[in-house]
Amino acid sequence: MEEETQELAFAGTDAIVILCLYGVAMILIGWWSGRGKQLGKSVSDYYLAGRNLGVITLFFTLYATQYSGNTVVGYAPQAYREGFSWLQSIPFFILIIGVYLLFAPRLYVIGKKQNFITPTDWITHRFQSRAVTILAIVLMLWGLANYLLEQLVAIGHAVAGLTAGAIPYGWAVIGFIVIMLTYEWLGGMRAVAITDALQGIILMIGIAIMLAGALVLSGGGVSDLTASIAAQQPEKIGVPDLATNINWLSMLILVGFGAAMYPHAVQRIYSSRSERILKRSLARMTWMPFITSGVVFVVGIICIDLYPGLDVSASEQLVGLLANDVAGLHPFFYWTMVLLFGAVVGAIVSTADSVLLSFSSMISHDIYGRYIDPEAPQQRKVMVGKLAGIVLIALLLWIAWNPPGTLYQIFVLKFEILVQVAPAFVLGLYWKRLAAWPVFWGMLAGAVLAGAMTLTGNSTVFGIHGGVYGLAVNFAVCVAGSFLFPPTAGKQAENSRMTSLEAAVQNAR
Amino acid sequence: TRWIWIVLVALVVFNAPWYLPAGSIEPFVLGIPYWVVLVVLLSVALSAFLTWVCLRHWNV
Repeated sequence: MEEETQELAFAGTDAIVILCLYGVAMILIGWWSGRGKQLGKSVSDYYLAGRNLGVITLFFTLYATQYSGNTVVGYAPQAYREGFSWLQSIPFFILIIGVYLLFAPRLYVIGKKQNFITPTDWITHRFQSRAVTILAIVLMLWGLANYLLEQLVAIGHAVAGLTAGAIPYGWAVIGFIVIMLTYEWLGGMRAVAITDALQGIILMIGIAIMLAGALVLSGGGVSDLTASIAAQQPEKIGVPDLATNINWLSMLILVGFGAAMYPHAVQRIYSSRSERILKRSLARMTWMPFITSGVVFVVGIICIDLYPGLDVSASEQLVGLLANDVAGLHPFFYWTMVLLFGAVVGAIVSTADSVLLSFSSMISHDIYGRYIDPEAPQQRKVMVGKLAGIVLIALLLWIAWNPPGTLYQIFVLKFEILVQVAPAFVLGLYWKRLAAWPVFWGMLAGAVLAGAMTLTGNSTVFGIHGGVYGLAVNFAVCVAGSFLFPPTAGKQAENSRMTSLEAAVQNAR
Repeated sequence: TRWIWIVLVALVVFNAPWYLPAGSIEPFVLGIPYWVVLVVLLSVALSAFLTWVCLRHWNV
């Protein structure tokens, strides 16, 4: 990521005060949500909030996990550069819920019966293969670590930009890591979910005010705006060409499957108090793209007319440029822009905390608890997870400060890798014939293909993403392999029993 | 449910405007290019459909 160069008119003392208040509020929420509960003694309590999230907290933790600061800071410049074809940012977020519906209903019921903690629990339960389990763990941990690295770098840039360098990049990252670890250790998943609610509400308000400011600055109506773009940059407003449309559909598949397969997203399915709460939360989530990525898209389109001719590098500063002009309109807008950038930092932190908690849970439950010390008490497993989180962050900080000169692409592999566990869920939950070895080779082939395409600079070919090619190969290997080398009749009967709803429903009641 | 699959795939496939003439802008609807209005309406339909499936076709 490039260094922030846009000097924010509202950066400085006011922003530092807002960030400090925000940090104190997060720690207080962590203390409040963990008080009186012996969180360190139960894996389920610490990582899944005791499977007791209500509709408000579940909805907001899904929201804050799905939408990060990048949704504001990165998507507005994308709309500015690509024009109206970036409208795809609305349906690809909607489709995440569509993919959830392919596996969440049954996974929730079975997960409740079997007391699943991590996504790997399902894979172990269904395939009973150490090779499949370990490969899935590696892919998910790799994707999560890269995702967390991205968030930590973004926190540093956002805070340094917001405080005009008064809080330098390095100290900003360390400061927010300490805040994040403190409230996470104090309150576990419950603290993460409640802070997500606060961060989500502030982000929604900030985005709405950014749109209001952009509309005031543009002055004209919709017709004037579109007529101006049509006259000066018709390629940004016309129906996209075939290559762009293919890329659009590829994005729908990659983001839809990739974001639904985030381990921290899957764990939110387990955390729901009831099926009714889960489906009500997901139903609300289907409308959030319109008031989040949709509003940011409109802001980016307005900026095409407000700031014509920005190159790629300059357009990356678009939100700061707009916020400066909006802040100059009126003292009300000044403070709302300070809050908006505080909300961007909060949105990044709210994504990072969920990723870190999920990573810790996989280390403590999947690796330590399953392979190193299966007899360990839950208290020790939770402590191992906490310490693993610190080790991971130390490693990521070292990478962030010493970015590798070559092969840096391995640190951007995220969706392409995570999406490869999808067949194990979507097929494994419903198809008793699906065998372990085809799943292993499918996952491996998909990840290698997607990774190789990204590493060689061919992240898309004919407009289709490497992750989507990998996923297609993965599904094909799973299906063909299971037809050619099906499990024994006894194994298929066992598969049928372990994915059966009747027995699971009895327990989920 | 097979028909849920059919509706979902149709709403996704037609979400990208590959079936419209590339580069066309007009007619404008309320000042917005016709194809943008169409994509937004299809996205609203996708959200409404998924909401309905969540609340009415998923049932512990």
